[in-house]
Amino acid sequence: MELIIRNLSKTYANGVQALKDVNLTIQQGMFGLLGPNGAGKSSLMRTIATLQEADNGDIRLGDIDVLKQKQDVRKVLGYLPQEFGVYPKITAETMLDHIATLKGITHPKERKEIVEGLLQRVNLFSVRKKNLGTYSGGMKQRFGIAQALLGNPKLIIVDEPTAGLDPAERNRFHNLLSEIGENTIVILSTHIVDDVSNLCKDMAIICLGEVLAQGNPVQIVEEMKGKVWKKIIDKKEIDTYRQNCKVISTHLFAGKTQIHVFSDQQPDTSFESAETDLEDVYFSTISQKVDTITI
Amino acid sequence: MFKEIFLFELKYRLKRPATYLYFLIFFLLPLLAVMTENVRIGATSEKVFKNAPVVIYTYMSILSAFGILVSSAIMGVPVFRDIEYKTNTFFFSFPITEKGYLLGRFLGSFLVLAFTFTSVGFAVMVGSWLAPLFGTVKPEQFGGFNLMHYLAPYFTVLLPNLLLSGAIFFSLVALTRNIFAAYVGNVVLLVGYILTGTLLSNLDNRDLASLLDAFGIRAIGNVTRYWSIPEQNTLTVPLTGMFLYNRLLWIGLSLALLAFTVFRFDFQKFLAVSQSKTKKVKGETNVIARDLASFPQVNRVFSLGLNIRQTFKLAFLEFSNAIKDVYFIAMISAGLIFLFLDAWYADEIYGTASLPVTYLMTEIKNGSFFLLSFIIIIFYTGEMVFRERILRFSNISDAFPVPNWLLYASKFVAIVYVCFLITTIIMFAGITIQTLKGYFNYEFDVYFKELYLLTFPFYVQLAALSFFIQILVNNKFAGYIAIAAFWVTQAGFGLAGYDFNMFFYGSTPSYRYSDMNGYGHFVAPLLSFNLYWLLAGSILLLVGNLFWNRGIEEGFKERLKIAGQRLNTSVKVSLGVLVLAFAGLGSWIYYNTDVLNPHYHVDTVLDAQAEFEKKYSKLARTLQPKIVDVKFFADAFPQERRLVMKTVARITNKWDKPIDTLYMSFGNKLEYLKIDGQELQPIYKDNILYQNQKGEKGGFWWYKLPKTLQPQDTVSFEVKEEIAPQGFANSGFGREILHNGTFTSPSVSFGYPANEVGSDKERKKRGLAEKKYAQPQQNDKWGLGNLLFNDDADYITYEAIVSTSPDQTAISPGYLLRTWEENGRKYFAYKMDSEMDMFFNIVSARYAITKDVWKGDKGQEVNIEIFHHPKHTYNTDRFVKSVKASMDYFNKNFTPYQYKQMRILEFPRYASFAQSFPNTVPYSESFGWIGDFGDPDDTDYCFYVTAHEVAHQWWGHQVTPSNTCGANQLSESLAEYSALMVLQKEYGKESMQKFLKYSLDRYLGGRAGESKFEETLMQNDSRAYVWYQKGSLVMYALADYIGEDNLNRALKSFLDSAAFRQKAPFATTSEFLPYLKAATPDSLQYFLEDGWEKIALYENRITKASYTKLKDDQYKVKLTFNSKKIYYNGAGEETSKGKGKDYIEIGIFAEDGKNTRKMTVKTPLYIKKHWIGEGNEQILEFTVKGKPSKAGIDPYNKLIDRVPNDNVISVSEE
Repeated sequence: MELIIRNLSKTYANGVQALKDVNLTIQQGMFGLLGPNGAGKSSLMRTIATLQEADNGDIRLGDIDVLKQKQDVRKVLGYLPQEFGVYPKITAETMLDHIATLKGITHPKERKEIVEGLLQRVNLFSVRKKNLGTYSGGMKQRFGIAQALLGNPKLIIVDEPTAGLDPAERNRFHNLLSEIGENTIVILSTHIVDDVSNLCKDMAIICLGEVLAQGNPVQIVEEMKGKVWKKIIDKKEIDTYRQNCKVISTHLFAGKTQIHVFSDQQPDTSFESAETDLEDVYFSTISQKVDTITI
Repeated sequence: MFKEIFLFELKYRLKRPATYLYFLIFFLLPLLAVMTENVRIGATSEKVFKNAPVVIYTYMSILSAFGILVSSAIMGVPVFRDIEYKTNTFFFSFPITEKGYLLGRFLGSFLVLAFTFTSVGFAVMVGSWLAPLFGTVKPEQFGGFNLMHYLAPYFTVLLPNLLLSGAIFFSLVALTRNIFAAYVGNVVLLVGYILTGTLLSNLDNRDLASLLDAFGIRAIGNVTRYWSIPEQNTLTVPLTGMFLYNRLLWIGLSLALLAFTVFRFDFQKFLAVSQSKTKKVKGETNVIARDLASFPQVNRVFSLGLNIRQTFKLAFLEFSNAIKDVYFIAMISAGLIFLFLDAWYADEIYGTASLPVTYLMTEIKNGSFFLLSFIIIIFYTGEMVFRERILRFSNISDAFPVPNWLLYASKFVAIVYVCFLITTIIMFAGITIQTLKGYFNYEFDVYFKELYLLTFPFYVQLAALSFFIQILVNNKFAGYIAIAAFWVTQAGFGLAGYDFNMFFYGSTPSYRYSDMNGYGHFVAPLLSFNLYWLLAGSILLLVGNLFWNRGIEEGFKERLKIAGQRLNTSVKVSLGVLVLAFAGLGSWIYYNTDVLNPHYHVDTVLDAQAEFEKKYSKLARTLQPKIVDVKFFADAFPQERRLVMKTVARITNKWDKPIDTLYMSFGNKLEYLKIDGQELQPIYKDNILYQNQKGEKGGFWWYKLPKTLQPQDTVSFEVKEEIAPQGFANSGFGREILHNGTFTSPSVSFGYPANEVGSDKERKKRGLAEKKYAQPQQNDKWGLGNLLFNDDADYITYEAIVSTSPDQTAISPGYLLRTWEENGRKYFAYKMDSEMDMFFNIVSARYAITKDVWKGDKGQEVNIEIFHHPKHTYNTDRFVKSVKASMDYFNKNFTPYQYKQMRILEFPRYASFAQSFPNTVPYSESFGWIGDFGDPDDTDYCFYVTAHEVAHQWWGHQVTPSNTCGANQLSESLAEYSALMVLQKEYGKESMQKFLKYSLDRYLGGRAGESKFEETLMQNDSRAYVWYQKGSLVMYALADYIGEDNLNRALKSFLDSAAFRQKAPFATTSEFLPYLKAATPDSLQYFLEDGWEKIALYENRITKASYTKLKDDQYKVKLTFNSKKIYYNGAGEETSKGKGKDYIEIGIFAEDGKNTRKMTVKTPLYIKKHWIGEGNEQILEFTVKGKPSKAGIDPYNKLIDRVPNDNVISVSEE
C-alpha cells in the first residue's frame, strides 16, 4: 500500500496559500516531512488525516480516496497532532480504554491487554490511574502517542511529535517509532533535521506550501557531497559574502560566525570543505524560498 | 501607573466594534418598544405616557438586569483577557502595582459599560420624537421632555445595577480566575429578582422583596404602585424609604466586593493558581515494556449497533462531565432552592396558602425556575458543543473512526439527559414540599404527564434549537447572544400581539390541569404541538449535523461545501420524511387553529368590533320584547363535547310602541328560531363579530316577526343553539362544554350586543368617540327600565329540564322536581317556585354531595347542598358553615331568604370566580376547595367568598338593580359589606385588618392602573376595584363609624322598599343613598359623602411615639403624627385638601396577644376616635395602664390611606 498525493492545493479564507500543487508518493515505512514553521506541513497532514478540505487535488491511500472516503481512512489512521488537549478529570487508563472503543476494539479482554501494553510501552503504566490534567508536557505527549498507536493503524501521522520533549524523551520516542512495523506508513513532520536523518528512509522538504525536494536522505546528501564549504568570518562581513556566493546557513561556532556556502568548486582557499549532512541540504533547499541567514 | 492602565483599557474597549454593537442592541430594544403602539411596559394604564418617568425607570431597571450578558463581556474580560491570552505571565513582571492594575482595568471598563447603557435613555428620547413623526404612536401618548426623567433613573437605578453586576464579574474573575463563577453569581441575582415575585403574593413580604431584589425593580414598584396617573407621568422615584435602603444595600455590597478584591488581589496568586490546583504527578518507574511488534492484532468492529452503543456511552461520559462541574451543581442547587420556595408558597390567596396538591407542585416549573432552566440548557448546550474544541481534544478525536453523527448525537443525548435531570428535580422539589407539609397524596400520574410528557419535550425542543444555533454560529459566545436574540425577538412578537402558536418555536396553546377535568380536551392540542415542535427540533438537528464542525475550523463557504458532501441519500430521505411529517402535522394544526377555529390578531378583532359598532350602534335602543317565562332544555353530551340548549319562552312587548323586528345576537351555532311554533328565516345576517370561516357560529341576525307585536302582546318564542367545539383552538380554554365540569348559559340575546371597544386609545385610532360610560346615566329612562344582569327580561318564571351522561349530575336554578333515566341518559327537572331575574345556567359534572340544613329561629329551613369533586373534601364544611352563618346574619339583619335551598357547585379552574345564580352558585375549583386554612392568622377566604355569593341572593336577586351607572355597587359593594360582617362575626374584629389590607392594596393599585378616569361609588359603572375594594372599605368603615345595627337597619329599609320590584324604574344608587344619609348623624355626613360621592384619600402617619413611666403600671404616652385628607378628580389630579376636622381613631397597644382562636391580635390599651384637623407634627398625650408597645393613628387601617403601613410605630421610652 502506498499513499499518493496528486496536485493538492489549498488556500485559506485569509488568502494564505497553504499548499501549492503538492505531489508526493509515500511508501510504507517512515517518511519524514521536513520544513520550517509555517511551511504547510500541518495543513498537509491534517488534510491526509481527513480533518481539512482541499481545494483541489487527490489523495489515495491504496484503494481509498482519502478526500471522499473519510470514514475508511479514519479506520486505519493513527494521528498525533502537533497540539492537542485532554479531558483533565479523567484518568489515562479510562481515556485510552474509551478511545480504544471508539477505534472499534470491542472485545474487552483484547482492549484491556492492548491498553495496558501501550501504557507500559509509553512508560505511563505507573501513573495510569492519575487524571490526565496532572500530567506534564512530556507525559501528555506520550499519552498522545499511545492513542495514535491504538488499533494497529496502517497510516500513522505524527505532527512535530518531539517539540517540547527533553533529549531523553526524544530518544525514547524515536525508539518507539522505529519499532512500528515495516508495513505501516508513518509520516513524521518535523523541523528538526536530525529526527529525519535518524529515522527516515524517505523524506520530502516542504516550504511555503511547495514540495522542494523528495527522496532518500542518504541519497540526497550524497548528491550534495563536496559542494558545501565552510568558513569562519567576522559578523560584519556577512553581507559581502552573501553578495558573492550562495550562503546557505550561518552557525555560531565557539562564539564566532561560521558560514556554509554552496558551490560546485571551492570559492577560494579561505573556505574549507564541509562535511555535508542533511542540514546543509535542508538549508540549501529552503534558501531558494526563504531567507535562512540568521545573525 | 493607574492612569496608563485606565487609558489603555478605555482605548482598547473603544476600538472594539463589540462595544458599539452592545450600544446598538440596547438602543434598538427600547426604541422598538417605545415606537410600537401595542407594547406597553412599566405601566398598566394607557393614560401613562410612553416616555413617562415610571416607564423609563422600568426600561432601565429591567434592561440593566438582563444586560448581564453585556456586563459579563465587558467587565468579566479585563482580567480574564490576561489569563486567556496568557499575557499574565509577563504582564505582571512590569513595574505596575496590583491596585493600579485592578482599578485601572476596572474603571476603564466600567466607564465603557456605563457609556454603553446610556443607549436606553437615548432610545426613549429618540423614540418619543420619532414615533409621532412616523405616526406609529399618537403624539398625545408622549409627555414633554424633562432631562431629570432620564438622569434620575440612570444614576439611581441603572448605574448602581451595572456597578453590581460589573463588580461581581470583575471580582470573581480576578479572585477565582474563572469566568463561569461570575456567571453563576449573576444568574443567582437575576433569578433572585424573579423569585421575589413569589414573595409578593403576600402583602406582608413587600418590604422584604423590595430589599432583596438586587436590581431595585421591586423597590421601585413598591414606591410607585399607588401613584396616580399624573404622578406616574411627572414624578421621579424619590430616594427615600425602601428604595433608598435597597440602593444603599446593594451599592454598599458592590463597593465592599470591589474593595475586598483590590486588597486581596495578588499577582503571584493570580499566576500560581494553576500550579497549586493541579499537582503534577511525578515518578514513572521504568518497567520492562513489550516490544510493539509483539502486540496482538486486535479485532476491530465497526457496526451500527456498536455506534449506537458508543453514542450512549459517550453521552453518559459527557453528562457525567457536566454534572461533576461545580458550577452546574451550584446552578442546580440554586434551582432547587427556588423550586422549594415557589412550592412552599404555591398559590397563596389573600396571604393564605393552598394545600400542596400535585398540579400546583408541577406548576412551580413556571415560576422563578423557568428562566433558570432556560439558562442551564442554553449554557450547557454551548459547553458541550464546544467542549472538545476548547480542550483541544478535538484535534485527536476528530480523526477517530466514528461517523459524524455519533459525536453529534452523543452531545445531544447528553443535553437530553440534562433536560431529564432538571425535569426530575422539579418532581423532587414537589414531593419534598408535599411531604414536609404533611400532604401525602402524591399523584405520580400527574407528575408524569405534566413533567415528563409536557415539560421534558419542551426542554428538549429548547435544547435542539440552542444546539442548532450554536453549531451554525460556530462560536460559543456569539452563539449565546444569537440564542438570546432569538428568544427576545420571539417575545417581542408576543408583546406586539402576535400569538399564533405554530409560528413561534416551542409555543403551545394555553392549557390548565384541573382535578375535576384532568387534561380534558387539551390532550389533542398539547400532543400535536409537542410532536410538531419535536419534529421541528429534529429537522434542526439533522441540518445541524450537516454543519457539525469536524477538523479544522473552516469558513462558511467551506462548511457549506462539506454540508453538501454529507447530504447523502439516507440524510435526504430522513430529512424528507421529517419535513413531510412536520408539514403534515403543521397543516393539521393550522386546520384546527385557524380554519376550524379562526385566529385573529388582536387588532383585527378590535377593527371588527369598531366596524360593528359603527354599523349597528344606532340600533342600541331599539325596542325589543321581554321574556316573561322560560322553559330551559339543555342536553349535555360531555364525552363528545356537545351541548344543545333550547330556550322555550314567552315574550311580551312591554313598551308602548309596536315591535315588528327581532334583532338576535348569539355566540353559538343557532339551529332555529321559532315564533308561535313557526320557524323564521333571518331577513339579515351579519357574522362580523364572532364569525368563523364557515359562518356557522355566532352572529347578529334579524327576523321579521310574522305579526307585529303590539304593546302588551305576548307570543311564544323558541330558540335552539348548539355548542360543539371542532378540533382545537390557538388559545383560550374553551370551557363551555367539558368532559367533566360544564358550566354554561345560553348566548342568545335581543337587540344590539354592546360588545364595544372599551379602550379610548383604540377607539380614537378607529375613528370612534371616547366612551366615558358603559351604562346609561341614572336619569335615563332606558337604563332605569332594564335590569343590570339582563335587559332581555325583567322577572320571569323558570323551569328547566337538563340531561347529561348517566355518571354526571346536571343542575340548573330551581328545585329538583324529579330525575329519571331515559335512553342511557340522566334527566333532571327543576322548577323555580317564585319569579326571578333571568339569570340561569346549566352545570354538569361527576359530583359528590355534602348536605346540611340551616334552621332559622322562626322555624325556616334551608337545604344546603355542596356539589364537589369527590376528592375535594377538605373544606366542604367551611362552605356549609359559611352558608349557615350568612343565613343567620342576613335573615336576622336584612329580609328573609326567598328560597328554601342554597347550592354550591364546584367547576374546573379554567376560570377563577364564583357566580351567584338564584339559589345556585357555581364556584371555581381554584378558590377555596384546596385552601389550607390551618393557620388561625390566615384569612378564611373560602368562608368569605361563600358569604359574598350568598349575599348576592339579597343584593342582586332580591334587589335587582337597574342598568345604570352606580348600580353595580348595589350588587357588589353591598354583597362585600354583608360578607365582611359575616366574616367579622365568625372570626372577630381582629381578622378584618388583614383582609381589608388586600382591599386597600387592590383599590390603590386599581386606580393607579386606570385607563379612563376613576368614578365614585355613586357613579361607577365598570371598575371592579371600585365596586369590590373601595366598596368594602367604605362600607366597613361606615359600619364602624355609625354602628353596624344602625347601618343594617338602613339596608333593611332599602330592601323593604326595593326588593322584588317588578316594574321600572329599577333601583339606583340615587335611590339608595338617602337611606344611608338618614342613618348617619350630621357630624359624620362628611364621611358618608367622602366615601360615596367623592374620591378622598387620607395621608395619616405617625412620626414619633414615646412614653414615660408613671407609678403603678401607669404610662404617659406622647404621640406625634401627621394627618391630611386630599380630594382627587377622576383623572387622579388633586383638587382640594380636607377642611375642618375628621373623626380618626387613635390607638395605643401592648404587645400583640393571641385570642381564643390562637390568632395574633393587637391588644389595645387605648383605642378611641378623635376629631383631628389637618396638619403635620400634631401631638396628643394619653395616660394608659400597662406597658405600651405600639401606637398609631387609624391603626386598623379603616380609612383609605395612601400609605397604609406608616400608621403604626413602636413606642420607645423617653
